[in-house]
Amino acid sequence: MMTVDLDQTPRSLLVFDRSSFLDEKNRISSQVEQHHFNYKVSVLLPECSSAPSHLDSVLNSFKSFYLIRNMPIYELLDKHFLETAAYKGSVYGLSYRTRVDEDNCVALMPNGRLCLSLDKDSFQVLGVEGKPSRFNHRTNSRYVVSVDLTHSSMAPGGRGYVRLLTGLRSRLHLKTDFLLSHHPGGGASLQALLSRYDWSEHRPEIRSRVLTQLSCPALLTSDLQSSDPHSFLEWLGAVDADASRENSSSSFLSSLVCPEPSTTLNQALSVSVCGLLLPQDIHRLIQEIRRHLEHHLESWASLTVHGFVDSPVSWGDSEHGVMRGGENFYSLLMFHDHTYHLHQATGAHDTCPP
Amino acid sequence: MSGVDEKDESAVYRRVVLKNASPYHYLEDESTRLSAVELKQFIISGLKSLYGEVGAALTFDLLKYDEDKLTASFSCHFLLWSSLTLLGSYQNQACAFRVLQVSPFLLALTGNSRELQLD
Repeated sequence: MMTVDLDQTPRSLLVFDRSSFLDEKNRISSQVEQHHFNYKVSVLLPECSSAPSHLDSVLNSFKSFYLIRNMPIYELLDKHFLETAAYKGSVYGLSYRTRVDEDNCVALMPNGRLCLSLDKDSFQVLGVEGKPSRFNHRTNSRYVVSVDLTHSSMAPGGRGYVRLLTGLRSRLHLKTDFLLSHHPGGGASLQALLSRYDWSEHRPEIRSRVLTQLSCPALLTSDLQSSDPHSFLEWLGAVDADASRENSSSSFLSSLVCPEPSTTLNQALSVSVCGLLLPQDIHRLIQEIRRHLEHHLESWASLTVHGFVDSPVSWGDSEHGVMRGGENFYSLLMFHDHTYHLHQATGAHDTCPP
Repeated sequence: MSGVDEKDESAVYRRVVLKNASPYHYLEDESTRLSAVELKQFIISGLKSLYGEVGAALTFDLLKYDEDKLTASFSCHFLLWSSLTLLGSYQNQACAFRVLQVSPFLLALTGNSRELQLD
């Protein structure tokens, strides 16, 4: 069952989906896999004070990622790189410290699609086919170039390939700091490219904290079908932000309170991982949380995945941008009986999540 | 979640959540500090001077405040966001609000990839 909630004057998009992992038709694997560029995963486990060992193991096995400084973007068309990395497995690449509403941004997707989000001058200098961004205001100031590097027209030596390579190498000279990861090869598949530039390897950063006496919506007993999905998300946001939730409606500073009906958890564990995170690792984490819930009756767990604000794509090949905010995240509330609630949120100008 | 969420046709109430750098002072006087209550009062008085009693009546929640780093998160009406940049002095000291992030979702404030530091 899916409901779509559109803000009255479009500012955001929130898609709410209920299903079960046991239902053959559930699309959760595809929904996770299509969200290519993940910055942060947060997990909330009620009545836990430390991560169970298997969960801890999965978190610590998230793949390393690599940062190449000042990389010329034409390197992503290098024949050897394409043959050893892009055509074999999945490359995830994203320009780092580039703002999608101001700078030129680049994304290389695991399916071999290269996406360039460019300002108008850069687009004209580059001289290849593209289209105006969905995130323009009154005039077309940003353009998107999207090419499939696995398509025959982009085979090394082909006309499309040569045109783009020439544009990046001789006309635009586009260089950015660049985040890279590869599945399943990891750094070994990227070695040739890395060795030519100043690069560093990074492990995803894990943080955890224990919350005590946490007011929490009574998720297992209340009729969630009738409750406002915004309420749960707001509560989750307040927990993640460590915002004060113990207010009364007459409190001067904040009237933020836990949605009713509520209960109190003696403790809860909040764990987060940050970096360039692969969907495959997130999928393994979801499976491990499901295994954890199998041994904990009457329990639930929440997993939230934030996409990169400045990624030029969000789900799949859909263009993403920043109008006022660049949110593109999803939140998965999982239960002991393998049912789940999925909230997917993005800006109003983004394409509806899958 | 408490907090107003009604919509009427004449004035659409739209909630946004802001993460701001709250006033930073040119600290000639290092004893100048701002408590959470003082911050909220400052903004209310600013709204009043800009929009009158209607402005002062706009409710907003101060969700989180770091007095040392001078950063705050608000849940507020859309109008407050635009008015923050017009608040230029506090107790005769120049100050400025720098909005770091805006979102309809509080949850989005904790996952801002622009904070990723890899140096």
